[in-house]
Amino acid sequence: MTTIERRARRGRSLSPGWIGLGFVLPCFLLFLMFRFGPAIAGVLLSFANYTVGGNLEWKGLLNYQRLIADPGFLNALRVTLVYTLISVPLTIAAATGLALLTRRAFRGARLYRSIFFLPVVTSLILAGVVFTWIFSSGGPWSTVLSAFGFPVTDWLESGTFALPAVALVGVWTRFGYGVLIILARLQEVPRELEEAAVVDGAGPWRRFRHVVLPQLRPAVFFLVIIETTFSFQAFDTIYVMTSGGPVDATYSLVFDLYQESFVNFDFGYAGAIGVVLFVLTLVIALIQRATLGRES
Amino acid sequence: MSVVDTITGLTRPSATRAPTATGDPFAPRGLAKVLTHLIAAVCALVTMFPLYAMVVLSLRRPGAIEFPASLVPWDLSGESFARIFATPEVWRWMVNTLVYALVSVVLILLISAMAGYAFAKRRFKGREVMFWSLVSMLMVPYQVTLIPLFILVARSGGVDTYWGLILPGLANVQAVFLMRQFIMGIPDDLIEAARIDGCGDWRIFARIVLPLCKPILATLGIFVFLWHWNDFLWPLLVGQDPAMRTLTTGIASLQAEQIPLSQVFAGSVVAFVPIFLAYLVGQRYITDNAVAVGIKG
Repeated sequence: MTTIERRARRGRSLSPGWIGLGFVLPCFLLFLMFRFGPAIAGVLLSFANYTVGGNLEWKGLLNYQRLIADPGFLNALRVTLVYTLISVPLTIAAATGLALLTRRAFRGARLYRSIFFLPVVTSLILAGVVFTWIFSSGGPWSTVLSAFGFPVTDWLESGTFALPAVALVGVWTRFGYGVLIILARLQEVPRELEEAAVVDGAGPWRRFRHVVLPQLRPAVFFLVIIETTFSFQAFDTIYVMTSGGPVDATYSLVFDLYQESFVNFDFGYAGAIGVVLFVLTLVIALIQRATLGRES
Repeated sequence: MSVVDTITGLTRPSATRAPTATGDPFAPRGLAKVLTHLIAAVCALVTMFPLYAMVVLSLRRPGAIEFPASLVPWDLSGESFARIFATPEVWRWMVNTLVYALVSVVLILLISAMAGYAFAKRRFKGREVMFWSLVSMLMVPYQVTLIPLFILVARSGGVDTYWGLILPGLANVQAVFLMRQFIMGIPDDLIEAARIDGCGDWRIFARIVLPLCKPILATLGIFVFLWHWNDFLWPLLVGQDPAMRTLTTGIASLQAEQIPLSQVFAGSVVAFVPIFLAYLVGQRYITDNAVAVGIKG
């Protein structure tokens, strides 16, 4: 029997379509069970109430009505937005600055970049533990501030400063990723472009302003989207550093969702918070699409 | 510094490497170079400071961290580590974390490579619908699925079990997407030739596709390991028994209890060392591919 004949026999006994399906099946079943199913259930749950006993009670829009009248939720929304407004611009500014600084090949440039990326792979819990100590009164942060004449306080116990403090930790954990994204983009700027600018008599500042900076826009835009979505999900550092306190000053959306579901067991209500989070993420993504569409 | 040497010694040339100093006409020179170094060094020190503090304070005698705590590394003691390692629970957390991370790596690589092969190289009914419904889930924040997922696992008796910890995370859409993209780049001719030689799909997959996928498997493996090693929320929900905690949830619980800070830091160092080593060894892999892999999956 020739190989062709053997192939033909195999083809009859087991259709190739089934083989492909077989390869996908483990992945697809896991996906249906642990991603797709729960996502649908999560949306449905936000219109119902689920008790620990397992009873599902239809509530319509009641959870959402409660949500918009709940000062706790509105505070969580505000906290999340302020966190994002502090951490995203700072993260991107630091990333852009350090990427431009270490962009050129000089001895040590790669070592600096490696160091900047180290916080990105560090667990958020470890970051939270160390920064709790850094921000404590008498810790390094207040020591530095008092050297500049600011009063010594524990930022994490201050209603005003706790949120900026956790947002700063967010910056520390994320700016290294931004450095990488900006550097990757910078490497695509054709060197001829800059050399041509030199021939035309452009100094370093004009070269930067008119040649390099315009090229950075897509990368910065990408980072705004990614870092905003990331900030919306702030949880781990808040959990270890402040537990939402003092007096709800760092009570973020995901922290609210965690509290309502796994502390208060109000699963339907927490589901509504999850849907709000989803919609916020979706809006950001749609803005991205609309804006990128206009640019190209 | 030995750490410095290790990092620079292990870095390998790669596609995204910047041009060498001699080849870059814009490389800083003279005063500009000094300034560049100065600013970069200060920023690097600030970046490293929390990790440095973590290590130095973990080597303080328990109870000796008063304010302002000295960060000069003298009068060091391994007592906090001795106490941490004398706690049976901490060993248990280490084992749990290792099981969670390693089992997840192996299974996610296998499952996503298989799916990636079929999505890239096989035709079957519903392929497009399946693939795009999979990818669309990248848009849905993890927190939306969290509550139903927990209810599902809890009602199936998955709380405080390894399968409850590991199984839901195996549905890693990002991994499937990356595997498919990579396998699409493998020439069809190679697969056709093997088929004519009488290879079945499984042999083509195991003998031809998988070996060619080594670079992407290594990359994905490192990232899946990092994600799971650092994961917090899911282990927090599933591991309610102290014996079923992972290092991250265990350290968070140490932090909440009133145990000496140096011991909390010692535990943190224990959780950090494997990540740090993985980063030293796979640094090029990680930084070159972080752009493609994106953020936490």
